[in-house]
Order: sequence, then structure tokens, then C-alpha cells
Amino acid sequence: MLPLKNRLYRLALRITLNPAEAEDAVQDTLIRVWEHREEWEQIDSIEAYAHTICRNIALDMAGKAGRGNVQLNEEIRVKNSQFSIEEKFDQKERLSLVRKIMDTLPEVQRSIMELRDIEGKTYQEIGNILKLTESQVKVYLHRARTSIRQRAEEIEKYGL
Amino acid sequence: MDYKYIEQLLERYWACETSLQEEQILRTFFQQEEVPAHLIAYKYIFDVQQEQAKGTLGEDFDAKMMELISEQGEVLPSEGVESRMVKALPLGGAGKGTVWRLRLRPFYQAAGLVALILTIGMAAQRSFDEEVQPQHTQYAQTDTVECPADEFVTMPQQQEAALTSEKVDSISLTR
Repeated sequence: MLPLKNRLYRLALRITLNPAEAEDAVQDTLIRVWEHREEWEQIDSIEAYAHTICRNIALDMAGKAGRGNVQLNEEIRVKNSQFSIEEKFDQKERLSLVRKIMDTLPEVQRSIMELRDIEGKTYQEIGNILKLTESQVKVYLHRARTSIRQRAEEIEKYGL
Repeated sequence: MDYKYIEQLLERYWACETSLQEEQILRTFFQQEEVPAHLIAYKYIFDVQQEQAKGTLGEDFDAKMMELISEQGEVLPSEGVESRMVKALPLGGAGKGTVWRLRLRPFYQAAGLVALILTIGMAAQRSFDEEVQPQHTQYAQTDTVECPADEFVTMPQQQEAALTSEKVDSISLTR
């Protein structure tokens, strides 16, 4: 159970974009999974099960916090305009910019990117967690990667 | 160095056609410090991914978690006991009397135990006394045997004394 915590935490963090909320989400997830320990034998993959629960809890939290994404978008626009004035910006700022770009992706794309690129899960596993088909997962991931690629290239070209 | 392979992999990565192994190759490639200029834009993406992969929860989270789970483990059985208690009272039937009898049961048991110990103790003492008493009776018998002997010994002397006094008296009377 506890070895799952870091994976769940990272997924929750991608969704809530708030470390404290992500930690709470993992805590609630583990408790809920623990409460259903009688059913563990009937569940194919406890990991996928825990991920699904964690995602739902984190989504609830993000929904309650509300408008998090919108605020971030605005913030980035402000930051971008600031950066466009400067000719060059150092590596740290670029990193934080890419981070922000990733955070502004729709939640599904963020979650899929997290599960694929960071946790190294197969499309089938991701589909199980998000209750999507493999091809749906691929479509979302493709959108996520494409938009990140575009933004990264724009930043490189124009310093935006 | 030829970067064609990496570029090819990257193209397939954007198209979501890479396998997990191939994506791992890309990740390792972008981990190195020196990356060709035309690929530097993508390095940041992979760097951020690496950074995000480090997000972990500390030991204190484990401790908190264990506490929460053990608390639950304690809560569940005690609830069970309470419900069992609630059920047991109506099953006991005739109201307060039976409840009191149930509550006093330990005292009854203790009293019974004390009574048992007392009877056993008294019985043991009596049997011990019985072992000692026959000796007393023997002594008593010997005493009673001896006593008459003394009496027999003393009696003739007394009788003799009496006789002598009678004799003296008779002698004096005759005189």
C-alpha cells in the first residue's frame, strides 16, 4: 500500500497542482483503499484501482478549489509578456515556463502524461485507470505532446 | 555525433508511436548536460518530467498514515462490542433485575470461592485436630490410671493415719 504513495502523490499533484491538497488526496485514497481491503482479492490491479480513486478525489478537490486552471492561464500570459521584453532568460526560468505550460494542459492530458512519461505505464494500464480506451488515451497524449512541443518551439524561436 | 536516431525517436514520440523502452532512451539522452542546439527546446520538457518524477512523500506521511489506519482498526471492533452490548440487554429479558444480577455475578463468584476455601480449610483443620486428639485421650487415660494408683497409695496412709488416730482415741478413751 505505502509503496504506491509517491505515484499517487505525483498523479494527485498533476491534477490539483497543490502539494498540500495532493497529500490529502493520497491520504484519503489510501484510507479508502484500506477500508475496502476485503475486496482486494476481487480487484485485478490494486494499483490501477488506487490510481482511479486518487484521481477522482483529486478531481473533487481541484473542482472545489475552482478556477485553478484559469488563474494559471492568466498568470502565464502575464509572465510571457514580461519575458518577451527580455531577450534571453536563464535555464531556471525556462524550466518553470515549461512546467507552467504542462500545468495548463487539460487535466486528462496532464494525468495521461504523468502516467506515461513519468510512471512509465502502458496505454492499456492508463486506460484502466482513466476508464478510457487505448486509442482515446493515445489521442489525448498526442494532443498533450503536440501542444507542449509547439509551445517549447515557440519559446525557443521567439523567446516567448 | 549523429543525432538522426534521436530525431527519429523524437518524431515518433510526438506521434505517440514510441514504446516505453524507446521513451526511456529519449529520457536518458536528454539527461546529459550537452544537447545539440536544435534539440535544446525539448530538453526542458524532459527535464521538467524528471523533476516531476522526484515528487515524493516523506516518512512523516507514512507515520501519519499508519496512525490513521490503526485508529480505524480500533474504532471498528469497539463499535461491534457496543452493538453487541445493546443487543445483549434486551435479550437478558426481565428488565433491571437481570441486569443487576449479571453485574453482580463476579461478586457471587468471589463469595462462592471464599466459601469453598473456608470449608476446605476448616475440614483440613478438623482432620488435623483429629490426629492430635487421640494422643490427648491416651494421656488422659494414663492420667486417670495413675491417679487412682496415687489414691491407692495415699489412701492406705490416710486410712492408717485415721486408724492410728482412732486407735489413739480408743486407747485414750479406754484409759
